[in-house]
Amino acid sequence: MKSALFLAIVLISGFTGGVIFGFINFVTTEPFLDSAIELENKALFESGEEKDGPEFRAEYNNYRGWQKSGMVLAGGILGMAIGSLFGIVFALSRKILPGKHEIQKTLLLSGMMWFTVFMIPFLKYSANPPTVGDPETVVLRSILYLSFIAISGLGAVGFYQIYKRLQSKKIAAFIGYAIFISIIFVIMPPNPDVVSAPMDLVNGFRMMSAFSVSVLWLVNALILGALWQKFKPDVENSDIRN
Amino acid sequence: MSQSKEITVSKSKTPILALVILGIVFGMGLFVVGYDQGHLFSLALGESAYEDIYLHELTHDMRHAAGFPCH
Ligand SMILES: [Zn+2]
Repeated sequence: MKSALFLAIVLISGFTGGVIFGFINFVTTEPFLDSAIELENKALFESGEEKDGPEFRAEYNNYRGWQKSGMVLAGGILGMAIGSLFGIVFALSRKILPGKHEIQKTLLLSGMMWFTVFMIPFLKYSANPPTVGDPETVVLRSILYLSFIAISGLGAVGFYQIYKRLQSKKIAAFIGYAIFISIIFVIMPPNPDVVSAPMDLVNGFRMMSAFSVSVLWLVNALILGALWQKFKPDVENSDIRN
Repeated sequence: MSQSKEITVSKSKTPILALVILGIVFGMGLFVVGYDQGHLFSLALGESAYEDIYLHELTHDMRHAAGFPCH
């Protein structure tokens, strides 16, 4: 395997996917973030902590502008991070992934990883807009969320090992994972925060968040598959002519 | 008649160093976007970074959008 080429295409795929993901968020999640933060502002005015007016608005717009300007950059960083994880798993599992074209392989793996390390954790610990989270519980929530991702991902790897060893009835490995993750899903403690924000705001935000993250997984897989197909970092050619 | 043969060698070995680098990128990227509360800037700016949490604010919207726990 050509290491530098392999690294380059993995990082480029992740970064590009992440930047696209960042831009998409301006249309998908940002409107919900704005309404959620406006609710927080209202609470501040009502409690008398802040006074609405041109002065507050100038400072607020400045602050929100800074936050929004980070969306694309942070998207690129997160895309590279997720792309790197994907690159590691793809390099290790590519040989046994079915499919003629590399894009078939990346899409299949991406779908499985999206499901185990994103979708299942998302269903348990759904994304929340500002105003929902209690700052006191952020460390606990982070630990819960990360642990669940790790358990689900490592569980999938474990059941893949079982899948490899099974001679027949390989479906048992999928059923095994389903039972395993269902049990974990039920016994993991729920998000401790009470959602006081309007449910349509929260649900709308969650749908948009899930959609946007899914685009990241999709775009990263498409680009990596296309680049791998073109540059074949795993193949070393040698021409022997006589 | 000349014969031309192309031998394609598919090296099964995956470069460990490349995987380690990707592992580091994964860990750091996740930390910066998902969990940093000023730790990284504090290395350069000292304790004041914790009050300003620039990095947190810059990655704030993405943190929510990507589903990480926040405020
Ligand atoms: Zn927040």
